[in-house]
Amino acid sequence: MLAVAGVSGSLGRAALLIGLVGAVFGMFASVMGTRQHDEKVLRLVPRFATLCVVATVGAFVCMEYAMITRDFSLAYIQKVGSKSTPAIYNFTAVWSALEGSILMWLLILAVCTVIIAWKYRSRLIDPLVGWAMATMFFVCTFFFMLTLGPANPFGKGAAGVLDGPGPNPLLQNHILVLFHPPILYVGYVGMTIPFAFAIGALITGRLGEGWLLETRRWALFSWGFLTFGIILGGWWSYEVLGWSGVWAWDPVENASFIPWLTGTAYIHSVLVQERRGMLRVWNLSLLIATFSLTILGTFLTRSGVLNSVHAFSDSDIGPYLLTFFGVIVLVSVGLIGWRGEKLRSPGTIDSPISREGAFLANNVLFGVFAFVVLLGTVFPLIVEALQNRQLIVGEPFFDQLATPIGITLLVLMCIAPVLPWRKASGELLRQRLFWPAWAGIAALVMSLAVGAVGLAPLLTFTLGGFAAGAALRQLALATRRQGLRGLVGRANGGMVVHIGVIIIAVALAASNSYTRSQEITLTVGKPAQYGGHSFEFVRFVEEKDDRRISVKAEIIIDGSGTYAPAIQKFINMGQNIGTPSVKSMFTKDIYLTLQPPVKVSTNTAKIKVFIKPLMMWLWIGGGLMGVGTLLAAFPGSRRKPTDPVSAPIAQEASV
Amino acid sequence: MMSTLNKKLKAWPVWMLMGILVVALLAVGAGRQSGPLTQEDRIDNVTQRLACPTCDGESVYVSQAPSSQNIRNEVARQVASGQRTDDEIVAFIESSFGGQVLLVPRATGLDALIWVLPIAVLVCCTAGLALTFRRWKREQGGQASDADRALVAQLLELDTDPTDSL
Repeated sequence: MLAVAGVSGSLGRAALLIGLVGAVFGMFASVMGTRQHDEKVLRLVPRFATLCVVATVGAFVCMEYAMITRDFSLAYIQKVGSKSTPAIYNFTAVWSALEGSILMWLLILAVCTVIIAWKYRSRLIDPLVGWAMATMFFVCTFFFMLTLGPANPFGKGAAGVLDGPGPNPLLQNHILVLFHPPILYVGYVGMTIPFAFAIGALITGRLGEGWLLETRRWALFSWGFLTFGIILGGWWSYEVLGWSGVWAWDPVENASFIPWLTGTAYIHSVLVQERRGMLRVWNLSLLIATFSLTILGTFLTRSGVLNSVHAFSDSDIGPYLLTFFGVIVLVSVGLIGWRGEKLRSPGTIDSPISREGAFLANNVLFGVFAFVVLLGTVFPLIVEALQNRQLIVGEPFFDQLATPIGITLLVLMCIAPVLPWRKASGELLRQRLFWPAWAGIAALVMSLAVGAVGLAPLLTFTLGGFAAGAALRQLALATRRQGLRGLVGRANGGMVVHIGVIIIAVALAASNSYTRSQEITLTVGKPAQYGGHSFEFVRFVEEKDDRRISVKAEIIIDGSGTYAPAIQKFINMGQNIGTPSVKSMFTKDIYLTLQPPVKVSTNTAKIKVFIKPLMMWLWIGGGLMGVGTLLAAFPGSRRKPTDPVSAPIAQEASV
Repeated sequence: MMSTLNKKLKAWPVWMLMGILVVALLAVGAGRQSGPLTQEDRIDNVTQRLACPTCDGESVYVSQAPSSQNIRNEVARQVASGQRTDDEIVAFIESSFGGQVLLVPRATGLDALIWVLPIAVLVCCTAGLALTFRRWKREQGGQASDADRALVAQLLELDTDPTDSL
C-alpha cells in the first residue's frame, strides 16, 4: 500500500496542470477564433472544455481516493482525514476545508464550462458566444491557478504522520454535509454563466439572438440552487447547532445571501427587458454584481480577514481573490462605460404605478438590502482599519434593518402581481386588490384570535395574507384560463415562489417573535410540565466508539415518543458538541437540548426546552420555492407576437 | 346591475373602512400584553445582545463556549435578583467583563455610519429612481429627436417592404 501512497497526490497535481493548460488554450482559442472568425479554431473550444472537465474530475477522484485510502502523505489529508471517520463523512471531508472546497468549486465550474461549450458549439461563430466562452475559460484559469498555488490540495505533508484529527466535528455530525455545500456551490458557481454572457454582450456591444432567454434561464437555474442551498443550510443549523435558530447572520451565511439578493433583483428586472426591451445595461450590471459578490464573499470568508463559525481554515489565498475581484470589477465597469451607451434602449417607462415600476422598486429594495448585509459584514474591517479597534456587528443589527426591508418587500408583493404593464389606474387597483386585501384582514383577525401580539409580526401576518391573496388571485386567473398549464411559466411559477416566500416570512416572524424557552432539571420518575407539555426523563444512554463519546438523555414528550438530545465529545478535537432533538408538529416544534454538565451516574438531567411556533412551515415554504422555481424555468404559454402586451385600453362608449 | 354593485363595493369609501379596521386591529394587537416574560425569556433576550468573548461573532445566546456560559450565568443571576432592567444588565456586563461584548454597534462616532449609510443609500436610490421617472416623463412629452425619426422611418420601411412585394 505504501508504494501507492503519494501517487494520488502526483496524479492529482498533474491533472490540475493539464486542466490549466486546457483552460488557457481554451481561452486563447475562443479569443483568436472569435477575432479572426476562424471556425476551425473555434471548433477546438469544446474540446478544450472537455479537457478541463476530464482533468478536474480526475483531480477530484484522486483527492477522494487519497481520502478513502487515508493517504497521510498529503498535507490536506493530515488536516481533515482520520482513520476513525465513518465512510460517508470521510467522503465529504474532501470539501471540509479550504483547498478541497476550491477543488469542488473548480469541478462545478469546469462542468458548467463544458455544458456551455457543447450546448452552444454550433453558435460559437457568434462573437457574443465566443467572448462568453473566453470569459468562462478565464475564470477557470484563475481557479486552476489557485489549486496549483495557494490552495493546493495535493501539497506534501510532514513525514511520518499516521493519523489525523478528521474534519471539524460539526462536519461529521449530520448527513446534510453531503448536500448543503455542493448544492450551494452549484448556485454560487453557476452565476459564472450569466456573468460570462454579460461580458460577451458588453464586448460585442449587442445582446444577440436568444441572449435574454438563455441568460435568464441560467441565472434562474443558479438562483434556484442558491436558494435551495441557503435553506438547507438553515435546516442544518437548526438540526445540528443546538441554539434552535436557522440563521445567525454569520459572515459566511451573508456571503451566500448577498449574491442571492442581487440575483433576485435580476430575475425580476430581467422581465422588464423581456417585455419592454428596457433596462439592458442595468440587468447586465446586476449579473456582474452578483458574480463579483460571490468572489468578494469568498475572499471575505476564506482569507481569514473575517472570522466566523464557518471559516474552517485560514490560508493565504486572500490577495489572489481580492486581485481577481478587482480585475473583474475594473474590467466590467470599463466595459459598461465603453459599451453601455450602445446597449441602451430608447424606450421610457410611463408610470411608476405599473408592473415595470414595481420591478424597479423591487430592485431598489433588494439593492439596499444587499448593501446593508454587505456593510454589516465588512464594517468591523473598516473600523479596525481606521481606528484599530475591534467591533462586532451581530444578529440584532441585521434583524433591526432586515425587518423593515422585509415588510416593505411584502407590501410590494401585495401590489405588484396585480399591476398591469405600462400604467395602472387607482380604480383598477381598487378592483383587483379588493379580495387579496380581505385575505390580509382575515389573516390579521386569525392571528389576533390565536393570541399574536406585537406590531412587526402582526404586520407580517397581515401583509402575508394580502400578498398570498394577490399571488393566488393571479394563479386562479391563470388556471381558470389554461387549466394546470396555467401554473407553468415565469410569471405564474413566480407566484408559486412568492407563496413559498410568504410562508417563510410568516414562519420566521412567528418563530423569532414567539419562541419561549425554559431550562428544566428532570429527575427519573418525576415528569415536569412546560408550555402545556409534559417531559419525562427515562435514562441516560452512553455510547462510545474510537471517534467520540456520546451521552443521550432519553425524554418522553406528552407520554409518547422518545426524544434524545445528546452531547458528544469528539476525542481527537476535545470539543463538546450538543445535538438537539426536535419534535415537529404543524403548529410548533418542541426543541430539546441537553445542558452540560452531564453526570451519567445521577438520575437527573438538565435540559433546555424551546417551544417554537410554525417552524415546520419554513421547510414547507422552502419546498414550495423550489417547486415554483422549476415551474418558472419551463417556458409558459407563449403569447402570439400579435397579442397586445399591456392592459387593453378601456373601450369608451364603444358602438 | 352586478357590475355597478361590484364597483360600489370596491370604491374608495369601502377601502377607507378596511384601512381603519386594519389600523384598529393592529393597535389592539400591538398594545396588548404577551403574558409575563419568564426569567428564562429575559435571559434569552439579554444574551442575544451580547457577544461571546472567545468565539467569532456568535452571541452568548448561541454559543456553547465556557466563556459564554460564564456570562450567561451572570445574566441569570442579575435577572433572578430582579433589580436591573435588560438595558442595565447589558451595561453592567459590558463594564464588568470588559472587551467587546456588544453585538450592536452604538450610534455614536464612526460606528454611527453603519446606521446612517443604509438610510443614505435608500434615499439616494429612491431619489435617483424618482428623477429617472421625471426624465422619462419629460421625454415622453417631448419632441422626437432626429434619431427617433430615423428609427421610425427605418422600421416603417421594413414593415412595408414585404407587403409591397406580396
